[in-house]
Amino acid sequence: MISIGLLLMLSLYNKPHLDIDKSTADLIITAQKVLDDYQKDENAANNKYVDNIIQIKGVVSNISFSDGNSIITFKDPNGISSIMCHMSPEQNLNVLKLKKDSQITIKGLCTGYLLDVIMVRCILVNN
Amino acid sequence: MKKGFFLLFIFLFVNQIFSQGKYLEKDGYISFFSHSLVEDIKADNNQALSIIDKETGEIVIQLLMRSFMFKKALMQQHFNESYVESHKFPKAIFKGYILNMKELDSQNTETEIKGVLSMHGKDQEISIRAKVEMSEGQIKLSGNFMVEVAHFDIKIPAIVRNNIAKIIKVTFELQHEPYVN
Repeated sequence: MISIGLLLMLSLYNKPHLDIDKSTADLIITAQKVLDDYQKDENAANNKYVDNIIQIKGVVSNISFSDGNSIITFKDPNGISSIMCHMSPEQNLNVLKLKKDSQITIKGLCTGYLLDVIMVRCILVNN
Repeated sequence: MKKGFFLLFIFLFVNQIFSQGKYLEKDGYISFFSHSLVEDIKADNNQALSIIDKETGEIVIQLLMRSFMFKKALMQQHFNESYVESHKFPKAIFKGYILNMKELDSQNTETEIKGVLSMHGKDQEISIRAKVEMSEGQIKLSGNFMVEVAHFDIKIPAIVRNNIAKIIKVTFELQHEPYVN
């Protein structure tokens, strides 16, 4: 009994992170809609997006690399905000093939809004 | 001709207001480390936002608590849901001044940053020793400081009290670039 309990505790303790690739998105949406929602009401948008797996379709406005990790930016053409998608490291090779101004879909976790909407652990989704 | 000069003047003037002396970092690195006899816990945040006004030395750093990535999923869940309550307090903000901004150059890189750290609904005055490297128009800030968990009204359950340090080490590395609109 004790050993079963201990095993259970250990497996819970070592519970892996959510596999973004294998999980289905809680929301499928366009970059513009996310930006509009954050522009309107940050708290309401947080309730809707934060901590959910979101699949976002948008036009690549910038691709940058910082410390070996890539960041894809979807910019709001009507405002100063953007969505910054911090890609998972294993996505780097595929990100290198991307071109500016092309339309892509990414899936990741939203952590909230600073100057921009922040997405982490993102992966590219084939359209 | 006169009108042209006037327009040029207006253009330069407006341009100055918007871009003068502001430096920006959007993907700054801030991590924290807790050492205890039971275990070491580390979490990394690569999405810190930092703005420096080079004229006044004013600095504002913001980060999202949910952007802290832990090795273990359960720790990250407990951190957000129970300890820092990210749903109620999604951001941590530091507002302060780089005290000797005007004297800093390639030789003189040591500085002290004084300000207020707001987290979990509590404000705490802190003073941070930091290294400033200015090169090619960039301002790089790096260093570390200690924060006391109790100062921020963060309650740790008795059962894991020995797993989490009372004083947490925060490490930062922020690479600012000139801000252009």
